[in-house]
Amino acid sequence: MDDHGAQRSRRLEQAIQACAEGHPEGIDTILELEGSQLFGVALRILTRHDLAEEAVQDAMVLIWRKSPQQRGPSGSARGWIYAILRNRCLTILRDGRRLSSMSPEELTRMQDARDQIVPEEGWQMLAGSSRLGDCLDALDDPARRAILLAHVGGFSHGEISARQGVPLGTAKSWIRRGLASLKECLS
Amino acid sequence: MNGFQDDLTGFADDYALGLMSPAAAELFEAVMATDPALAERVAHIRDALIPLDLSATPQTLPAGFAARVQDRLAHVAQDHPPARPAHMLGVDPTAPPMAANLPAAPVRRWMAGIAAALVLGVALGFGGALQRPEPQPVVMAVLLDDAGVPRAVVSDYGNDTAQIRFVSDIDVPQGFSLQTWTLPSAQMGPQSLGVLDGPRATLLQGPDLPDPGNNQLYEITLEPEGGSPTGRPTGPIIAKGLAAVQTGI
Repeated sequence: MDDHGAQRSRRLEQAIQACAEGHPEGIDTILELEGSQLFGVALRILTRHDLAEEAVQDAMVLIWRKSPQQRGPSGSARGWIYAILRNRCLTILRDGRRLSSMSPEELTRMQDARDQIVPEEGWQMLAGSSRLGDCLDALDDPARRAILLAHVGGFSHGEISARQGVPLGTAKSWIRRGLASLKECLS
Repeated sequence: MNGFQDDLTGFADDYALGLMSPAAAELFEAVMATDPALAERVAHIRDALIPLDLSATPQTLPAGFAARVQDRLAHVAQDHPPARPAHMLGVDPTAPPMAANLPAAPVRRWMAGIAAALVLGVALGFGGALQRPEPQPVVMAVLLDDAGVPRAVVSDYGNDTAQIRFVSDIDVPQGFSLQTWTLPSAQMGPQSLGVLDGPRATLLQGPDLPDPGNNQLYEITLEPEGGSPTGRPTGPIIAKGLAAVQTGI
């Protein structure tokens, strides 16, 4: 990690610690450091500004609430923050009541936009110039695509199997074996 | 790799990728909260995949966003820090694990509803030799409502201390309280573990009770504000479940 990255990590850890001690300014720091990136992630998954804004807001409330229970070195602060946001996006995405309140046109528009999240060509831009990119490149196409659909697109097992035209079990095993190879490559 | 390890890896992967249903994910989080090694495993995958999040195009948050968040925070109660029951406080968390004194690979059993948000008997096991000396519950129970939906998880540490965590929202009408009970034996009848200050994670300090055992009943009832007037459950059962012993097998 470069100096800039190390400093960011330290500041994020301190911000979470501040929240854990009951100082809501910690959330301001997190928003200052990661707010626009978090909003970008939420918008990519949810495709609508209002929903994305709600997801980031909910994520900040959850970080505030859960911070006293964050203990010890379970991975990076940044990883924790993004995981909370992604989970929040998925909850919004899979909320049947909310979806049923949307008009058919609106649903179609959202679905079309979501179909573009993981392009068939040029997936490399999703991983940037990271080691992860090299390791993803080493995977079979279907396994890589399934993992990207899950993590980047926020698609469920069922949606992934439908998109790839294979039975559910096949999609699950692609993901499982793909992740195993990925972890081996990264270790 | 044995079946336990396969299950564990599969759950951790599914959770990290967001492939669990929200209810199952919340339940898995409750399990992770008591298992640092499992949390570590999830964090490892999460951190490995973070470049995928950083590739999203940043978007400027709308004006006044931070202020709106702060308005909400002012009305949110924070969760309590993790339970550290009194009998574990003597353990120095900085001391290295004394592996020689521990069983080689204690395997704990969790009752966790992971598949399709339904509670099935799912065993998650983990070699404990590398774990920090965290307090370990004697039993855990997943409390389900009438429809089989997980509502709360109770970790009972023995020593009259238990932790309750909620895994889905519970609507508590004005003028009522939630109360937690356990049934150590038919002879003793239901014993109150405490009246809750709303459906949030709470450390319960109950009366002097025998150590909890396998299949011991735990339940939450809706009682008049402040708790049952009779010392026995009087209101409707919100959720209930049977305990599973967590110590080595």
